[in-house]
Amino acid sequence: MTVTAEIQKLRKRYPDALSAVMPALQLAQADNGGWLSPDAIREVADALDLTPAYCLSIASFYDQYYLEPVGRRRIEVCTNVSCGLAGAQQVLEAFERELGISAGTTAEDGAYTLGTIECLGGCGWATVVAIDNRHRLRVQAHDVPGIVEELRGA
Amino acid sequence: MPEYPQIVFAGTDGGAVLDLDAYIESGGFSALRKARAMPPDDVIAELDASGLRGRGGAFFPTGRKWSFVPKPDQLAKPHYLVVNADESEPGSFKDREIMLRVPFRFLEGCLIAAHGIQSQHVFVYIRGEYEREFEILRDSLAAMHKADLLGGVTVVIHRGAGAYICGEETALLESLEGKRGLPRTKPPFPAIAGLYAAPTAVNNVESITTVTPVLEMGGAEYAKLGVENSTGTRVFSLSGDVVSPGNYELPHGISLRELIYDIGGGVPNGRSLKAVIPGGSSTSVLTADDIDTAMDFTSLVEAGSSIGSAGVIVIDDRCCMVQLGIRVSQFYEHESCGKCTPCRVGTKWVTQILQKIEVGRASQADLDVLLSVCDRILGKCLCPLGDSDAIAVLSYVDRFRDEYRAHIDLGRCPFDGESSLEGIVAPSAIHEHHGHETVRA
Amino acid sequence: MSSGPELVSVTVDDRQVAVPKGTGLVETALAAGIEIPVFCYEPRLGPPVGACRMCLVEIEGMPKLQAGCTLTVTEGMVISTSATSAKAAEGQEATLEFILVNHPLDCPVCDKGGECPLQDLTFRYGPGNTRMSFAKITVDKPIPVSPLIALDRERCILCYRCTRFSEDVAEDGLLIARNRGAHTEIATFADEPYRSPFSGNVVELCPVGALTSTLYRFDARPWEIQNVPTVCTGCAVGCNTSATIREGKVERILSRNHPEVDRGWLCDKGRYSYPHLCAEDRITTPLRRGPKGLAEITWDEALDEAETMLRGSAGSIVTAFSGSETTEIAYALGRLLRAGLDAHSAVLPESTSDVLEAFRLPLSGLAEAEIVVVVGDDPVVERAPIVDLWIKEARRRGAEVVVCSPTGSVPTAPGAGAKTCRELASSRGGLGTKLRSSERAVLIWSGPGGGGGARIAELAHELGFESKPGCGAFHLAAAANPRGVALGWAVAADADETNPEPIELLVVSGDEAASNPDVRALAEQASRVIVLTMFHELAGGWADLILPSTGALERDGTSMNLEGRVQRLRRAVPPPCPDELAWISKLASRFAVDLPPHFPGVFAELATELFRDLALDDLGPHAPLPTRQAYVAPEPATTPAPPEEAEALRLHRYRPLFSGPAVERVPELGFQRPLRDVELSPADAATRGISNGDAVVVRSNGTSATLHARVNKRLIQGVVRIADEHAGDLHPAVDVVKA
Ligand SMILES: Cc1cc2nc3c(=O)[nH]c(=O)nc-3n(C[C@H](O)[C@H](O)[C@H](O)COP(=O)(O)O)c2cc1C
Ligand code: SF4
Ligand code: FES
Repeated sequence: MTVTAEIQKLRKRYPDALSAVMPALQLAQADNGGWLSPDAIREVADALDLTPAYCLSIASFYDQYYLEPVGRRRIEVCTNVSCGLAGAQQVLEAFERELGISAGTTAEDGAYTLGTIECLGGCGWATVVAIDNRHRLRVQAHDVPGIVEELRGA
Repeated sequence: MPEYPQIVFAGTDGGAVLDLDAYIESGGFSALRKARAMPPDDVIAELDASGLRGRGGAFFPTGRKWSFVPKPDQLAKPHYLVVNADESEPGSFKDREIMLRVPFRFLEGCLIAAHGIQSQHVFVYIRGEYEREFEILRDSLAAMHKADLLGGVTVVIHRGAGAYICGEETALLESLEGKRGLPRTKPPFPAIAGLYAAPTAVNNVESITTVTPVLEMGGAEYAKLGVENSTGTRVFSLSGDVVSPGNYELPHGISLRELIYDIGGGVPNGRSLKAVIPGGSSTSVLTADDIDTAMDFTSLVEAGSSIGSAGVIVIDDRCCMVQLGIRVSQFYEHESCGKCTPCRVGTKWVTQILQKIEVGRASQADLDVLLSVCDRILGKCLCPLGDSDAIAVLSYVDRFRDEYRAHIDLGRCPFDGESSLEGIVAPSAIHEHHGHETVRA
Repeated sequence: MSSGPELVSVTVDDRQVAVPKGTGLVETALAAGIEIPVFCYEPRLGPPVGACRMCLVEIEGMPKLQAGCTLTVTEGMVISTSATSAKAAEGQEATLEFILVNHPLDCPVCDKGGECPLQDLTFRYGPGNTRMSFAKITVDKPIPVSPLIALDRERCILCYRCTRFSEDVAEDGLLIARNRGAHTEIATFADEPYRSPFSGNVVELCPVGALTSTLYRFDARPWEIQNVPTVCTGCAVGCNTSATIREGKVERILSRNHPEVDRGWLCDKGRYSYPHLCAEDRITTPLRRGPKGLAEITWDEALDEAETMLRGSAGSIVTAFSGSETTEIAYALGRLLRAGLDAHSAVLPESTSDVLEAFRLPLSGLAEAEIVVVVGDDPVVERAPIVDLWIKEARRRGAEVVVCSPTGSVPTAPGAGAKTCRELASSRGGLGTKLRSSERAVLIWSGPGGGGGARIAELAHELGFESKPGCGAFHLAAAANPRGVALGWAVAADADETNPEPIELLVVSGDEAASNPDVRALAEQASRVIVLTMFHELAGGWADLILPSTGALERDGTSMNLEGRVQRLRRAVPPPCPDELAWISKLASRFAVDLPPHFPGVFAELATELFRDLALDDLGPHAPLPTRQAYVAPEPATTPAPPEEAEALRLHRYRPLFSGPAVERVPELGFQRPLRDVELSPADAATRGISNGDAVVVRSNGTSATLHARVNKRLIQGVVRIADEHAGDLHPAVDVVKA
């Protein structure tokens, strides 16, 4: 089913179709290799009878919409207080070493995007690392080579 | 370690109840049946009797909140129940475990609450980072639908997309309406004009989940747990420098010492306790001297802090309190919605001054400016987010003034690069500008 | 008076005031003579947002400072502003300090300098020096958000006035806030300009120099400029404006809030077309066609020439009007040609029916309406843009808005408006009943035909609107003052129209007439032509005598808007050529007609004839609305020939707002003009295998035009829509094929 068609279904879920804009953007992003290109935003706007500008004002407000291309795998290390106390920075640096890219950047070959992220709601299982929005708990620096190994394998 | 009554996590013995039949076996949905047999006002009365107060941070009496929602004959608009599952307060991770382990108890609570405020529409706003939790709720809901347990009530699970501010109830409603998550001015309060300007009750996941046992055991019975003013149990999130971090359901009023040492196994590696953030990063820090404070609303206020969302962060002596301030302030700076001036500008400014102090380039004058900037944020913002930053930072300076002075006097960080938060990289430090460029003609 | 609104008494600082219950706190303070400073607060933009925190006040019984702009007062409220509350003063200083943290103090080079609220408030409440020792957020220097508007993000204080206007008033959703927190900034989508007919209003709304007009690059200081109050003649609304003048040049046009007419909004046509006064082909000396084409002559020669031409053609002269003339000019020409030469025949622009006087309502009445019904072929925004804003406000306030047009909520074929009115009049169900029972319903005719609103008037009569002060009916005429022109011409003499055949002399008054194809056709028949115009290009090719005319901003006079309100134009700048009234009176005297040579005299004559002895001063800065008149049944409709039902599509051409001689002479307005599009209904596009953006050829016997297809979800099937200027000489029955 096309994104537009799926969005039409979403509209019905809410008393007011405007509420569908967030899930619609999520759909369009998933359909567009993980980021919202101007055309992806235009498609959402058309489907919901909104302006692309309006959709951009929404997309740019929330951290989980990406307005530039991202790597095929997205690795985000929580560096808020509890994870920080548990060694999140060492975990982050381990990823930088293993992937050969620095936090906040995407590998040239587009394979990975490495970033830090605010509290993921797993402070008791620090350090939390989100890989494509799936959480790895209690990650320590020495686990990182294994994780990257696994990512490369997959 | 004494056994404490498990109310929210009852019948899980450490595990999860993800199977509908198993949940029904163990008496699931009896509370809902009971509630639906009662007039809505009696349900609210049970809540009043239970003394249950909001677990999301504001600690507002749940029954009273529901009683503010006009009756359908008073205001003939659809009524809404909106459940706040945006859990993003640093130090807080309880709602997540509740959704992971007792999804049916939570959803049963939703239906009871809906009955209480005479609503046919429930929205659960769950933060976008909770993928597994979303799937569990979605599947549990499907199972309930199949078993025809919804009784005509629609439950929509709406996923957030990464914005702490959407935990603030009016920002949440804006976001749910498909707008930017900017807090609204109050009044009007959601109970009168909430979602789509209709009467709406907004409640936290733990609050709603607790509604189920309250109906089961009766409000009076529930009120026997805990202490005066803070009845019942609380799911405390314990994290940081502690041997056994995790979520623990305990009666209100238990002491911080018990929580950290008896239950949490104390501070690891023979380190000594330096500070405790008792209710999530938005609350004032406590010191080792406050270790006997009871974990309930009143006692924590008396100790100069608050229970917040009961996210307890334990901090040992390796941690530089200026770095803590920087990291916490960076969080609020990053999460400020940008609507009101003091928060948008102030949180960033606070971070900058703290960074200047940390690298040892600050003078007493800078410290004074820091305190005054915090004062100028405090109580002047549209919502409490900006306040949170000011409250936290002011408390760090107040309780650890010598350490702040030391940075100024030594002209460097006294921890010499050994602090446990040394060099921690916050998203705000690598935040990229969003957005496609504006026309250049 | 007993039945007033309930009053509450409130204390502001040390003063007591009584205001109606529910009055805003800021307004209440003002009523007590106390100003509470604000940035984001602007009631015309909808509910307050409480964003800037400039209006912090202390309120007895409330622990925290409150944003005054977000509150309405209640009985016994005790408010302390910064004047009496140290806490409030500290709060305000705090807000200002925060605002200035990232604001470049470049006032000396800022267009807003000298008339900037931020500058003033900083001066009054602000901290002497900034304690901010870190690098300010710096962003790229001013960027154009459109050819008309520049945005300097460094100066932006994020009051969200501009974005609220775009989203909540113009409802165009094009100017937005993007990103979050300290990264928040004003933007448009991708590389697209802010293309809204109302875009200029955000420049006036911006309380700092963040949004500025590219046309108003201005180094002068406010004391060097002068603001002249006048009215816009861009369309029949007649928005009140003030023209900023410096050294005899119009520098900009600002709104001049008439609460009943425009509420302080202007469209970009009214705001930005003033540069046409200095257009390259502006004519300032008369031109006569000789053996070697047009040659400049003196005014005395021109008047002699005109006199000879008039005498030579007496009895077979036709006069063509634009409809944008002042009523006085039309009257003066009437005196000259009718009283002086018995030339009673005129081509008048589509005018508004007198019958509508029975259903008069201020435009602001629209905002209170519970039902608004729009009938007619043209989009309201193309004919009377501000009316579109009033309708949008009505809708936001809960009104039911029904549009019976080719793109309306009730899809209606072009030309079927009169039929729609008849059906509504006889309808006993649904909408008809609602209209009958409503005390606050408004009817609008937006398009050609319909007897200039006569059909809508008949409907209003059927519905009993005469006796309902909250109900009204409007006709959106295509020109600014068609009714004033018709009346001025009519009262100049009493004799009946005669249609001279053949036409000896055609007198063309004004640029719209000069660029009107029908008038040009007449000119073909006429043996000689006199044209009164501002621009060489319009008449150079075909006029025998060209008399330079003045622009609206150079005129003293009156104009009657679509409500029937007589409003005053004031000369903002001296014209580069003699004023029409002056030379017409000279010329008239040669035909033994005496006519005052200036506006007040002509108006005085007219007033006794037309306006029941209205005096100039009665018009005031904001003209009043005349009272309703009794209903007189209009001329019955001449049933139009039913459109031939062909295989073909029906072409609906409309005159876009951004068109006409003035707009065409302002390059910066180019991007506002209609794209080379042909609009098709989805069905018609589908059957022809055409999709959005395709290049297509529109054909009608013999002629054709190549355009881009735009599939319009709302356009009725069987009809295609093209802007006049792109429709060329296409016939009414067309077909569209892929190019
Ligand atoms: C900045 C901010 C963030 C908040 N985040 C959350 C949150 O993540 N979850 C939550 O339940 N309440 C949060 N709250 C509290 C909500 O505004 C609201 O009080 C609560 O959801 C009400 O539910 P309760 O009465 O059951 O606690 C937040 C408040 C603020 C000011
Ligand atoms: S550009 Fe001007 S109007 Fe728009 S938000 Fe910034 S300061 Fe306000
Ligand atoms: S601090 Fe890392 S999950 Fe909370």
